[in-house]
Amino acid sequence: MKFVAITSCPTGIAHTYMAAEALSMAGEEMGVDIKVETQGSVGAENQLTEADIREARVVIIAADTNVSKERFAGKTIIEVGVKDAIKDPNGLIQKAIDIKIEDKNTSKQASDIKEEKVEKKGVYKHLMTGVSYMIPFVAAGGILIALSFAFGIYAFKVDGSIAAALKDIGGAAMGLMYPILAGFIAFSIADRPGLVPGVVGGMLASTVGAGFLGAMAAGFLAGYTIVLLKKIIKLPKSLQGLMPVIILPVLSTLVVGLVMMYVIGKPVSALTVAMSKYLTNLSGANAGFLGIILGLMMAFDMGGPFNKAAYTFGVSTLALAPSSAIMAAVMAAGMTPPLGIALATVIAKKKFTAEERESGKSAWALGLAFITEGAIPFAAADPLKIIPSTMTGAAVAGALSMIFKSAVVAPHGGIFLLFIPHAVINLGGYIVAIVAGTIVTGIMVSILKKDVVVK
Amino acid sequence: MNITELLNVNLIKLELNSKTKEDVIKEMANILDENGKLLDKDKYIKAVTDREKEFSTGIGMGIAIPHGKSSGVKEAALVFGRSINGIDYQSMDDELAHIFFLIAVPEESSDEHLKILSQISRKLMHKELRKGLMEATSPEEVITLLEK
Repeated sequence: MKFVAITSCPTGIAHTYMAAEALSMAGEEMGVDIKVETQGSVGAENQLTEADIREARVVIIAADTNVSKERFAGKTIIEVGVKDAIKDPNGLIQKAIDIKIEDKNTSKQASDIKEEKVEKKGVYKHLMTGVSYMIPFVAAGGILIALSFAFGIYAFKVDGSIAAALKDIGGAAMGLMYPILAGFIAFSIADRPGLVPGVVGGMLASTVGAGFLGAMAAGFLAGYTIVLLKKIIKLPKSLQGLMPVIILPVLSTLVVGLVMMYVIGKPVSALTVAMSKYLTNLSGANAGFLGIILGLMMAFDMGGPFNKAAYTFGVSTLALAPSSAIMAAVMAAGMTPPLGIALATVIAKKKFTAEERESGKSAWALGLAFITEGAIPFAAADPLKIIPSTMTGAAVAGALSMIFKSAVVAPHGGIFLLFIPHAVINLGGYIVAIVAGTIVTGIMVSILKKDVVVK
Repeated sequence: MNITELLNVNLIKLELNSKTKEDVIKEMANILDENGKLLDKDKYIKAVTDREKEFSTGIGMGIAIPHGKSSGVKEAALVFGRSINGIDYQSMDDELAHIFFLIAVPEESSDEHLKILSQISRKLMHKELRKGLMEATSPEEVITLLEK
């Protein structure tokens, strides 16, 4: 008869291990096979494998901390305090022998869930950590900027006005989005030492114009740089104290910073320039085609080089004429990504976590205000499903806007612009373009995304 | 494993003077302090007593392992103390405690030290070792026993 156990105590120094030893000794004495995983201050040791768990009759958790039970789905679990295992290990094992197994057929099920989880651990988990810390920054920043527009789309240009303050505050929160995303991806990978290179790398992603994809890259780079540095740097004991305070932060930030500046920054700025040229050459092309290209670019990296090139191009056309059809297409394409995702969170609730559904509510507001970044938390969490959907919807919106010959007089404002008389030419067609793009993205996301696995 | 990184003869007291739980923690913390292992004794003692409040580290079988992780600790260390008469440590089995391991861990500690401590904790569950520690006649003998 085989059993598995986990022991864990708050400080993770003594009781965790005494309980583990007590259980192992008692197991030996009673002639049962028991494998004990310790979750102490040095992390998990003697880790239970999927096979261990599958073969075990019962899972014993002797802990005064919160031990994750995800791995044990479908298993019979006996939970006690860590001291109970120290005090009476034999009794505990006897109980595990005697207890009635609730459902014998669930062992297969448990392993299925485990496999799914394994796949999502690692990279996915790190990404989700970063995204979940980023979400409130996007919401706070985006909604405050939108509020500023509510005072009038140029109200922020008046120094000292509340609209100006709101835009600055919102901008500050928004500006922290990339550092937070990258910082917490790295934090998830490498714990505290990861935070510094991650945050700095994220900040650089934003200054070099690499957008959220650049920030994601920075986060992973920072996390794994720390992991690597910890492995290769061996210091005499007397200098070990320097590792967390000087050596790791300086070296990792240097490495990540250099990569962001040269390996990512240079090509990104070259790409932005090339894109701008390409778009300028396209000016005379078929309107619908140009709309599609602008839409694809706006929604591909949402703040990265493609998006910037398209946006800058739109703004530049506005400088040449009082109203611009290209700017209108750019704005429509920038509004549909968050709007479409927000729509998907309503029509396909199952595909989103509770947190994402809440975040979907603010995505409505951000999309309406032409703050494309509202889509980033979703895109970062599931890029392969979300980005194609936002690109398609934005392409539809951009093309329709161009075909309807809609034009706008300002480079920002979103829905607030629509309320201003004569700010949008062919308003009806413009609204149709945005709604159509939103629906396309919404439906595509709903189809492509998988159901959320309930824990 | 090399226990001498954490424990040496100066950190071993085979005859503790204290009669109460509170005093025994102080007495042993003083030993740490005298050997330059602490930065802030009061802060460390508070960490230990706070830990005791969660539940007693008197794990029964005559053993108590008060421990604290605190920024008041300079470097990881261990004190071995013994009370022949025993001290009421509110142990889980209501018996008097005779063997004390006071563990001090700084906030940032090397995994190696934590592993040593975890090994000692494991060993204490073995009866022969406990018997040996009760009968040891010199600090050197205690170290030899723990190193086995």
